[in-house]
Amino acid sequence: MNAVALVKQVPDRNSAFRPAGNWIDESSLGYGINDYDRYAVEAALALKEAGHAAETVAVTAGPADAGQVLRSCLAMGADRGVHLITDRAHLADPFFVARALADAVSGLDAGVVFAGLLAEDSGHGQVGGLVAGLLGYSFASAATGLHFRNGRLEVHRELEGGRIAVVELRLPAVVAVQTGINTPRYASLRGIMASRRKPVERVELAAPPDGPGLRRLTLGRPERGASAEILPGSPQEAAAALVPRMRAGAGVSFPGDAS
Amino acid sequence: MSRRVLVLAERSENGVADASYELLEAASRLAGGQDGVSAVLPVADASEAEGLREVLPAGELLLVEGPAHASPTADGTAAAVLHAREASGAECILLPHDPVGWDVAPLVAARLGTAAATAVSALSWREDGIAAKRSAFLGKFVQEVEAPGLPAVATVERGAFPAREPGPALSVRILPSPVGPGDLRSRLVEVRDAGSGGVDLTAAEVVVAAGRGLGGPENLDIVHELAAALGGVVGASRAVTDAGWLPHELQIGSSGATVSPKLYVACAISGAIQHLVGMRGSRFVVAINKDPDAPIFGAADVGIVGDALEVIPAVTEAVRRSG
Repeated sequence: MNAVALVKQVPDRNSAFRPAGNWIDESSLGYGINDYDRYAVEAALALKEAGHAAETVAVTAGPADAGQVLRSCLAMGADRGVHLITDRAHLADPFFVARALADAVSGLDAGVVFAGLLAEDSGHGQVGGLVAGLLGYSFASAATGLHFRNGRLEVHRELEGGRIAVVELRLPAVVAVQTGINTPRYASLRGIMASRRKPVERVELAAPPDGPGLRRLTLGRPERGASAEILPGSPQEAAAALVPRMRAGAGVSFPGDAS
Repeated sequence: MSRRVLVLAERSENGVADASYELLEAASRLAGGQDGVSAVLPVADASEAEGLREVLPAGELLLVEGPAHASPTADGTAAAVLHAREASGAECILLPHDPVGWDVAPLVAARLGTAAATAVSALSWREDGIAAKRSAFLGKFVQEVEAPGLPAVATVERGAFPAREPGPALSVRILPSPVGPGDLRSRLVEVRDAGSGGVDLTAAEVVVAAGRGLGGPENLDIVHELAAALGGVVGASRAVTDAGWLPHELQIGSSGATVSPKLYVACAISGAIQHLVGMRGSRFVVAINKDPDAPIFGAADVGIVGDALEVIPAVTEAVRRSG
């Protein structure tokens, strides 16, 4: 039984994003592993280290240069990678991506498949669940804790309002992890050196068929209903202008106020 | 063009969850009225859910009944939703964009051979499918997508639609559940409180919230100082608690505390929708951020665009001098 991590290559979150057409201008962006997916990789590595998985396999769907995120997974300690090669534009439809990932996962003897809760770019937050649904695996999203008990997986899920649901899953299972579930390790120099000798299987995906599938129409900045009054000037000038507005707007007094 | 819409209704401690009333409003608009709305409620025993009929303003309430639904699970709820979808003939299924919807929507969509439109704030019919406005890039952008094919599945962002007033369902049908407890692959063991650690964020009149843009835990002192000068407490965005700069119980947002202080000061918080959900009940909101396009400025009354490490101490000083 193996531990699998599903990972995605996304634009560096500190990039200056500009809408272009129905997506962003991708011409001068740096790319890296989706932050949520680092936690998925760490969870897979920890499962193997705890003796519950024989191998850890990282799987991604993306263009040729998305191989870089598999290399980072291998450098963190994953044993091998599977790269489903497809145009970046085809990643627009989560179902196409999930179908391809599910096909790959079905041949990996997976016990637990970890995915990030969502991707920082498209933010659909459903690929892990779609893979579970397509394969008939158990599923839990928003995982903030994991325990193995008697061949079953106990997952702590974060609910609203600071509540935690404890859920027991039969294996195989897909778990979509929240950030903060663990502390993802950094690749050591030794890990980076070793990653070069680890195998990555490359599979060319056929283009998605026309028909059902999510299509991007437009992308733009959010409308600002009631937008903030921006206070001009130096930090000191803006701060001086802010204080009377805070008092009037909030209707509170502050500890230093003369009583 | 209007077609039938199905929503998942959820129970809360004292009736029906707030999120369900927002879904009912979204569904009523999409279906062209309450008549066209079906609500599904998975229950262990339909007789104990009868009172909810009076407060679930749908065209029809479908109680999917069976012991598998004694406590909610991802696969059990997904099976109930799919069963009610077939029974009602609904062509769009609306689920909440929250931990329940994140669990259930992809399982439902996978069975229907499609992707869900998630984090949706507006919906319309297309010839053969739906179009939806949704949040992308962690709230930085609003995207319009088309999900061709019916039935369609969508998860609706909290707060995107006003809550519908409670009222009676026009009719009720009880459907035997298609699944038994032995069919389920998941089991809810318990739900527990994560614990607040003694700080009652929700009761505070002034909250000063720290965001990732502060750069590191070494810069939190200035946030604590501002909170002290304002007589408030310190809260945090998810990024800050995930990084361990502050404890998890100080997290404000959809997965943490919901606060509604008189004064909310967001320090170097970009304002992802998940954060905004937790603080939009605040009376007066101040945002400090170096990015003038940060969504937090759309949720604030007053903003200062600048380096939080310079602006925050300046505000603290100005507050102290004004006393």
